[in-house]
Amino acid sequence: MTDSATVRTFDAVELELLWRRLISLVDEAAAALVRTSFSTLVRESYDFSCVVTDAAGQSLVQATESIPSFIGTLPETVKHFIRFFPIETLQPGDVLITNDIWLGTGHLPDITVAKPIFRDGRVVAFSASTAHAPDIGGKIRSPEPREVFEEGLQIPPLKLMRAGVTDDTLVAILRQNVRTPDQTLGDLWAQVVALDLMEERLHVLMEQAQLADLTDLAAEIHRRCEAAMRGAIAALPDGTYRSELKTDGLLDTPITIKLALTIQGDTITADFTGTDAQVDRAINCALCYTYAMVMYGVKVCTSPNLPNNEGAWRPISIVAPPGCIVNPQFPAPGGSRMLIGHYLPMLVFGCLGQVVPERVMAACGSPMWGMNQSGLNAAGKPYANMFFFNGGMGGNVQGDGISCLSWPSNVSSTAVEISEHIAPLRFHHKRLRPDSGGPGRHRGGLGQEILLESLSPTPIAVSFLAERTIFPAFGIEGGQDGAPGVLKINGERVDPKRQYVLKAGDTVSLATPGGGGHGDPSARSAAAAARDAAAGYVQDDRRVSERNG
Amino acid sequence: MAASLSLGIDIGGTFTDLVILDPRDGRAVIWKESTTPDDPSRGAITGLKRLLDKGGIAPSSIGRVVHATTLFTNALIERKGAATGLLTTNGFTDVLEIARERKYELYDLFLEMPAPLVPRPWRRAALERLGPDGSVERPLDVDAALREVELLVAAGVTSLAICFLHAYANPLHERMAAEAIARRFPALSLSLSSELSPEIREYPRMVTTAANAYVQPIAEVYLDTLEAALKGAGIPGSLFLMLSNGGLTHVAEAKRAPVQLLESGPAAGALAGAWFGRHAGLDRVLAFDMGGTTAKLALVDDGDPLVAWGFEAARTKRFLRGSGLPVQIATVELIEIGAGGGSIARRSELGTLHVGPESAGAQPGPVCYGRGGTEPTVTDSDLALGYLNADFFLGGAMSIDAGKASDALDSLAGRLGLDATRGAFGIHDVVNENMAGAARVAIAERGRVPQDYALLATGGAAPVHAWHVGRKLGVARVVCPPGAGAGSTIGMLMAPARIDRVASFNQRLADVDWAEASRIFAGLEDAALAVVSATGADMARRDTRRLADMRYVGQGSEITVALPGSLSAEAVLAAFEAAYRALFGRTPPGANVQFVALRLAVSAPMPGSGGMLRLDGLGGGSLALKGHRAVHFPDAGGAVTTPVYDRYALPIGTTLEGPAVFEENESTFIVGPGARIAVLPDGSILAERTP
Repeated sequence: MTDSATVRTFDAVELELLWRRLISLVDEAAAALVRTSFSTLVRESYDFSCVVTDAAGQSLVQATESIPSFIGTLPETVKHFIRFFPIETLQPGDVLITNDIWLGTGHLPDITVAKPIFRDGRVVAFSASTAHAPDIGGKIRSPEPREVFEEGLQIPPLKLMRAGVTDDTLVAILRQNVRTPDQTLGDLWAQVVALDLMEERLHVLMEQAQLADLTDLAAEIHRRCEAAMRGAIAALPDGTYRSELKTDGLLDTPITIKLALTIQGDTITADFTGTDAQVDRAINCALCYTYAMVMYGVKVCTSPNLPNNEGAWRPISIVAPPGCIVNPQFPAPGGSRMLIGHYLPMLVFGCLGQVVPERVMAACGSPMWGMNQSGLNAAGKPYANMFFFNGGMGGNVQGDGISCLSWPSNVSSTAVEISEHIAPLRFHHKRLRPDSGGPGRHRGGLGQEILLESLSPTPIAVSFLAERTIFPAFGIEGGQDGAPGVLKINGERVDPKRQYVLKAGDTVSLATPGGGGHGDPSARSAAAAARDAAAGYVQDDRRVSERNG
Repeated sequence: MAASLSLGIDIGGTFTDLVILDPRDGRAVIWKESTTPDDPSRGAITGLKRLLDKGGIAPSSIGRVVHATTLFTNALIERKGAATGLLTTNGFTDVLEIARERKYELYDLFLEMPAPLVPRPWRRAALERLGPDGSVERPLDVDAALREVELLVAAGVTSLAICFLHAYANPLHERMAAEAIARRFPALSLSLSSELSPEIREYPRMVTTAANAYVQPIAEVYLDTLEAALKGAGIPGSLFLMLSNGGLTHVAEAKRAPVQLLESGPAAGALAGAWFGRHAGLDRVLAFDMGGTTAKLALVDDGDPLVAWGFEAARTKRFLRGSGLPVQIATVELIEIGAGGGSIARRSELGTLHVGPESAGAQPGPVCYGRGGTEPTVTDSDLALGYLNADFFLGGAMSIDAGKASDALDSLAGRLGLDATRGAFGIHDVVNENMAGAARVAIAERGRVPQDYALLATGGAAPVHAWHVGRKLGVARVVCPPGAGAGSTIGMLMAPARIDRVASFNQRLADVDWAEASRIFAGLEDAALAVVSATGADMARRDTRRLADMRYVGQGSEITVALPGSLSAEAVLAAFEAAYRALFGRTPPGANVQFVALRLAVSAPMPGSGGMLRLDGLGGGSLALKGHRAVHFPDAGGAVTTPVYDRYALPIGTTLEGPAVFEENESTFIVGPGARIAVLPDGSILAERTP
């Protein structure tokens, strides 16, 4: 791509300066996206990301405040865009869009947009963003759909804007197909604002640094990150390490995920051969999401401080047989893919913990929990909304797991006061769940208990994200399991994978799982045990069997 | 003589700065004393006596005292506050601990979240419930609440936070509880969320209320002690406190809501920037303060520091957003960066040059201090580049080992594949980029461009770095005010009295009840005016601002909009859209607009806040030129023989051309080639980049 034959080089100072500015410009775009977004998913839960890639779609920098899944998926989506829209067919002012679950993030609500950035008549970069739309139509988000067609509107790779002109047909179809047209479109325009901002800042940066394109800079960034990642992997002993676990799956049929992680020299291969097949429910985890979750787990253990970009991922490859639940094929639904996907970093820990036990933790009370609602609000207008609730983190070699923290995702909980404004529901409590942390030298973090009541005179359809109701978060190094989660409607345990309809006065109670313990509980210090007792974190030593009654 | 002088006291963690100003002629005398952490008023009074001696001033001539302190922030950071309890809606006693459920760092398994200010056994439930519109869904059981509080008092709790769900919409239950509790337990300090922070979102509101409760008993004792000590020293003037919002208030208000004082020290610094900026004839100033470990940036528009409606206190990881406690109080907006003279330069794991946020601090300090530091710092590179003078370090009070610093720099440069000069300037350049980057984002978030601003440098290291930071930002003018060490105290003396009040106001613009809005504003104004006028401020010259937090219906973030003089849907919409476009470029088509909160700020100038400044011992000399030395300027291609001036000896009105170096005891101001330089009437040096 470089015009001249000479490759531009960057010394240790210049590279640092340019890198800082790139990070700062994506962070600025992310801040603008949060501030202009309409849905609680972006603004309260940070369910989005922003990235700048080079002209080949290879990521250079990503926003600091993001969630791990999009860090892995977003650059891949940009590469897919380039396959659908070859560079020479792009014009300044084009904005590309898709929510295809295989090209995107594994479920339809995540809308990805990208904008080619031109200098002197040619594409030098892309700015891109993924954000979770408040609604994408279809059956309300739950594990029930049998095929992706039930899950809402599919947007194949298209141009949302063509040379700066919005495709009104596409916008009209979008508006017609979602329950919350103003919010969904509002968020989409907030994403476009972020793309514009990245473009504008990148032009200023390239002008000041006298960069005709980003090819040489990208190569340098990628080379260094790749070398650092390879160095970190090479420091680990070669071998194949295996780990497997069972998830609640479809209640009557648990799902087994198997991972064989091979360290060979400076590469890692994560092989999911032997994992159960895809199912006709929306918990299938598309390969893009699988990839992101594996990368996240590896990075936490090997090189947590490494910047996120293409170079860091190159030494890691994934093998997942087509048709297994971590590489499902069309038209498998994937709306609730995190119910499989959030287990994957735990599996990576299961493997790498065999060589670096000090860098992993016991299992977390994740996948994250959520409650999706759809009905009429107090004003009688249709509303759709999602609440997220988190479980406890696992204990680790340094200390207790943190209570109620989003992991591996990073989705915060919406304020109760905000939730009660949006939804015709009343929270009776939202509090820590005593005795839910797995005992250990370092105890697992606590989950939480939530009790909600419908005040709506009209029915509210609800569905859930709820896992670990059967298989709890396991302890490690002699630590014990956390308490499994419990979901009840009107006091009765219900199948969390189904959809329910609430009438006025109906209650929902959710108890999120606690984290697993780390180390032998008998080694717990007296001071820590006294603290637990005084605070009521631990109230009953009789344990697991009784506490879920 | 009438008591016409003003005294400023700024108690920081290490030093207590004092200044006495005569507002009639601007004469100012400054003094620096070591802080006495066990009883901060002791160090203040010692310093005061020395300052009075230095200036030959009688205590009886001090007409007012203005005070800023980091005491309350430190109590939060060190968790040394009062035994604090919380009374909250039944079912929600764990809100403080469940917090936001979000990691502040994605890849760190060993995160340390901020501990709640109130431990779990002291978080008690009240039987009551309000709906989101403020309607009573379950009446407060006062007797049950009293029984809970009785347990807390028996357990040793001395201060109580009361924060009920949806109390921002209706303070009734919080007030009923407070009245009953105050009758039964008159010694207990009470903090109510509906009074301190009546804003939606229970977690930050509860944190704000708990933080107030946590520092309130300390504030009462401390302020009483200080007032008594001042009286004991023969000072007749009353005491005023610097608030985080950059305004002053009286002691009673400070005792009622000390959470408003958490950022009083930094606010004073920003005010100093504002004052010097105004006197240099600059509308928009980026106040830039850089010390040993951190740099702080504050934006000043039209003479007023920008105020944010919340900040994060007591972070567990100082520079990581999300690792602290969200406090919803009007606060001068400050960006803190891990960049200072002590910031350590290292080879990153990717082979690039990293500078900070790790700092060598004062111990061991930079390599050149010769106290055992081995890793090169920003100060070491500034020395190698000729920006600092080894023979006049801290006014000659400290001897420096330039050779050792140079060895450490060479070794780092070698490891990075750089020659020695590139390595040394690289450190200067990277730390400048870290600060310029933060400034760019802060300015852009307000829809402005850096070129609109002038840079105003205070603190030990900012004048050394300001010229090159300005160059990165495209800023044309850099100002270095005199008395860098006492800048923030001077800011306080110039500060107006100011009170900010907020009320929740959840209405759509399309069908807003303007009479209700006016009633709310009138209530806020009455409350704010009562406090401001009690400070003795010049009410005839007061400034009242009506603002609103607004957003598009469905959005979660608000922008604060200055409301037009006459309230109408059209005018307010126009103001909102203009502000929105300035920030975000475009407005979403067809969206409705709503209010979230109404805000009111009243400020009025304080009598005795001077319009002039004449620091003692400034501008007197005739031997301003001390000599020449080689100073590195990359635009000139390397080291340039540069004149070095004695800052104190420069006559007012002097004009010069860059490059030039201006030395004073606390700092050195570096100006590059091609600059036009002028010494302003207040002693500030203004350097302008020529095109």
